[in-house]
Amino acid sequence: MVWLALLSLLGGVFCGMFVFSAEHVELLGVISEYALYILMFSVGMSIGTNKEIFSKLRSFGKIVLIIPAAITAASVLSGFLCAFLTGVSVRDSVCITSGLGWYSLTGVMLTDLSGATIGTMAFLSNLLREMISFFSIPLIAKHLNYYCAIAPAAATSEDTTLPMMIKYTSEEMTVVSVINGVLCSAAVPVLVNFFHAML
Amino acid sequence: MTILIIMCVGVFIGIKFFSKKYAKANYILQVVCTCVLIFSMGASLGAREEFLSEISALGLDSLIFAVVPIIFSVLAVYLLTKNQKQ
Repeated sequence: MVWLALLSLLGGVFCGMFVFSAEHVELLGVISEYALYILMFSVGMSIGTNKEIFSKLRSFGKIVLIIPAAITAASVLSGFLCAFLTGVSVRDSVCITSGLGWYSLTGVMLTDLSGATIGTMAFLSNLLREMISFFSIPLIAKHLNYYCAIAPAAATSEDTTLPMMIKYTSEEMTVVSVINGVLCSAAVPVLVNFFHAML
Repeated sequence: MTILIIMCVGVFIGIKFFSKKYAKANYILQVVCTCVLIFSMGASLGAREEFLSEISALGLDSLIFAVVPIIFSVLAVYLLTKNQKQ
């Protein structure tokens, strides 16, 4: 799966650079939206087929809410360290790490709020967060625990990194992962606007 | 939100109508959709005119902005869940 994902990514970059026109890429954007819907429907069916999953999810209790809260707090705090390491202002730095891996939204928002350079950096770094998450999920699930595998993925744990969660953790962890992704995604626009105004 | 509703419809169909014997086909569908999503993400990146210059100019800083939150997040979740059953 990891190799298939890497091959798809490199193939996509190559086609985007040399093969496809702008219209093709736009069309592909529409196709990928439907692919995501089909994927979520299919994941839903997997979950529904597995009847024990709901009783197991109940046994998780409040941990389902603690995980997204911890990921969000840790990501925001890491923005202060990143500011020190890169020389980017604390405000922009915290806004970038508040993206929680949602590169398209954070890139667009910060281009608007702080200019093209910070916007591009937000786009690239959150994209990298998604990519690194994608490929680190198998390792983290194996060596730490399944909950930790959700942590790098943050807001992306409901869509792009979800297939890796399905493959390398359990079905009930997939449900935790989707809930985490929904909550983190909802937090991103609020956090970016808040820190941009407050810091 | 749309995603969540679609998944819930899938869960409902999974509970009511879906048989486990189609699980393999369902899994293949998931793999295909995932590859389409990643391919499309790559294509939209590659199509950006400044893609290569952006990568080389802002690459290292962007990597720091990706890796540090990942380490902090994993550490935070690990400390909170190390005694949890999974």
